Amino acid sequence: MKIDAIPFLNSAARKYRRTPFWLKKLAIALLLFLFACGTQNENLSKGKELIKSDKRRKEERAVREFKLAIRQESNNAEAHYLIGFYNSQEFYEPGTTDWEQASITARGKHMFRAYQANSRKYLEILIFETLRDDALDVQNAALEALTLVYERGDKNRLLSQLQKAIKSKDNRDRHDAYSVMAHIGKENSETFVPILVELLKHRRMETRLNAVKALGEIGSEQAISALADVIESGSAKWKRDREKPEVRQLAVEALGKIGGAAVPELVKIVENKGSSLRVDAIRALSTLRDEKAVVPLLDALQEQSRREVIIPFPN
Amino acid sequence: MLRTFAHQNSNLYFQRLALPFFCLALLIATGCDNRYYDEHMKMEVQQLDSDLENRWSTSGVVVLNTTPNGPADKGELKRGELISYVITEYPIQSTRDFNSTLKKAIDKDNNLILHVRGKPPLRLALRKSGDKPGLKVEGKGTVRVKEIQPGTPAANTDIQIGDIIEKIVDERKIYSIGDYKDAIGDVKKGQIVLRTSELIGVKIAAVNALGELGDTRAVEPLVDIFKNSTELSLRKEAAKSLERLVELSALNELFQQFQNAELNQLPADSLPQKQLEAAAILGLLTVDITQNHVTLKEPFGTQFRQRADALHQKINQAQLVTLAAQYSQLETEPEQEIRRACLEIIGILKPRSAIEALVHVLKNTEEIPGIRFQAALALSKIGEPAVEQLIDVFQGGDTSTKDMAASALGDIGGEKARALLIRALENADEPAIQLTLVDAIAKIGDAPSLEALQRQRQRFRKDDTGIRIFLEEVFKNATPEMM
Repeated sequence: MKIDAIPFLNSAARKYRRTPFWLKKLAIALLLFLFACGTQNENLSKGKELIKSDKRRKEERAVREFKLAIRQESNNAEAHYLIGFYNSQEFYEPGTTDWEQASITARGKHMFRAYQANSRKYLEILIFETLRDDALDVQNAALEALTLVYERGDKNRLLSQLQKAIKSKDNRDRHDAYSVMAHIGKENSETFVPILVELLKHRRMETRLNAVKALGEIGSEQAISALADVIESGSAKWKRDREKPEVRQLAVEALGKIGGAAVPELVKIVENKGSSLRVDAIRALSTLRDEKAVVPLLDALQEQSRREVIIPFPN
Repeated sequence: MLRTFAHQNSNLYFQRLALPFFCLALLIATGCDNRYYDEHMKMEVQQLDSDLENRWSTSGVVVLNTTPNGPADKGELKRGELISYVITEYPIQSTRDFNSTLKKAIDKDNNLILHVRGKPPLRLALRKSGDKPGLKVEGKGTVRVKEIQPGTPAANTDIQIGDIIEKIVDERKIYSIGDYKDAIGDVKKGQIVLRTSELIGVKIAAVNALGELGDTRAVEPLVDIFKNSTELSLRKEAAKSLERLVELSALNELFQQFQNAELNQLPADSLPQKQLEAAAILGLLTVDITQNHVTLKEPFGTQFRQRADALHQKINQAQLVTLAAQYSQLETEPEQEIRRACLEIIGILKPRSAIEALVHVLKNTEEIPGIRFQAALALSKIGEPAVEQLIDVFQGGDTSTKDMAASALGDIGGEKARALLIRALENADEPAIQLTLVDAIAKIGDAPSLEALQRQRQRFRKDDTGIRIFLEEVFKNATPEMM
């Protein structure tokens, strides 16, 4: 529609065109500022100021502000996230409501609320920032939140982000992705095991390493044959087909964590005299304490010691 | 004539074609799974895991199987042995022998051993291939050194001009199937010496794991290693594993309760508390105090509760006490970790028959104090039956012996021990002994002991010694009814 069609707008547009550029810029900046002040919850900004300050018990006081912030605006993503991040049971008397609300589960829920309000942004933050935090309780809260994302949020997006992270160049991303996959995968092995098994073929060694570790943590028997393949690749003819020793070693450990149906695989390694992983397999069996290991171990004790053997040839 | 030629020609043609074909077939047959059947030795070998070299510094090929009555079988090479070196000997009877053998050996791995008459074998190692060993020889029948060039590997050894070289031994390290084929292929007659390696780490790990598994079948093999192995690290591990088995067998009563109930979960307060604690430390079960639940860990729990009794019986039959008593002595066993493990075993089994041996350790001033103290501890665990002997040790020993014996007597307690300790305290004038005795009497802690200590409190009232402070502490902690 042409602007000329409406006389009022027409004159307004003309006036606007005549105003100098700097004034326009100022007006826009002013508008934006006012808009920001209006949306930026007062308590939220107070809380954030506190965090930046070096006041005593700043986190505890900030959390109080964040809580007020969501009382005003129950869907404020940032306030929810910050409660999840900074709240701690250390602030309160055990047994009180506040104390209960500072549990890892409750903090995870707050982080999940943040995700619900702005899923794209907070999924990134949870995976690539929150999990990196030094504090264990923050990491655990993030794990809780991501579990909720898996259960109630956009599962596929979460899975693709995790795969992106485990393939990342950055070691911390890979490690974080591993810990999330191991955590959620325990309850959802049928989804995670195939993804992780696929990752065993990834070109980056550290990615494969983390995938192996996650498979061990998940502990599903579905992963046994894939791990066995990794282990056996050590005596492959071509070097390019051989998995790196570190990864193979971890694969043995993973079998040990799976236990149960993995015991025969571990026994097979013990019986393979050309394997470099026999000691690792024996250690895994020792932790499992499964009596199926007794006979192969006794056999290993019967092996010949170091010696010289004379082979005569008929002339 | 023409026909014969044609025939020969076709034969030659066939041979030319057959050789590459044969090689290809061999490559396919052996290459795919890295196995190789050695026609010469009549056995099949396999390439080792690539990582063995890096992690355990072991290389070579592993014997998969030997054909009955073949050379390998006759030489008693066993399945699973790792061949790491092929050693061949070349007698030297002429300059030509010497030169060709030297060249061949050095070309392959820069390493050989010269056997010189009247001298220990000399190892000759070149820094890099292409280097000259720096030796010239002459003679037929007996080959003598003619010249040694200065600055060469030969000049660094003990060899001298005029030495008679009898033979050259080539020890070739095997890294791959290719190396193996090479080394064996060079030997056409006579004999081959193969040096095998053992992954001692595997056996150590196996011994350790057998201790954890708590199976009866492991007892005898472990005792055998303990007594007979020449490998110290393995013996140490066997001693520790036996100790672990004894520890597990001592939990028999606890596991029997689970077995009798045919359950893996029982109320905590119905179980023998000391055994429960020990089992929890070993990680065999989980204790939930709030629920009063004890749950065995799987799969070990169910398996072990069924065989605990068998292990208990086996341990008591296996004459472990005699063995431990014997190897707890410094005269028999130079390795202190093994002596410690033996004393630990005695401490768990608490047999009267070991008292003599323990007293011997306790009195042995050559022994490490820690181990002597452990012997005293074991005696205190045996308890009442050891009192007489401990009293003897106390009366005859030097200060440190008295200290250990008194401490053990304090742990055991009882009238006899108490009487001796009180009497000794009243006559003691050495502060160190006084303190030991006060400590031991305080451990008994019954009315007569406290009475005796009260008297000492009067005696040391004005002293500013450790004893007074110690006595004050004792009476601070004592409850009124004990007074």
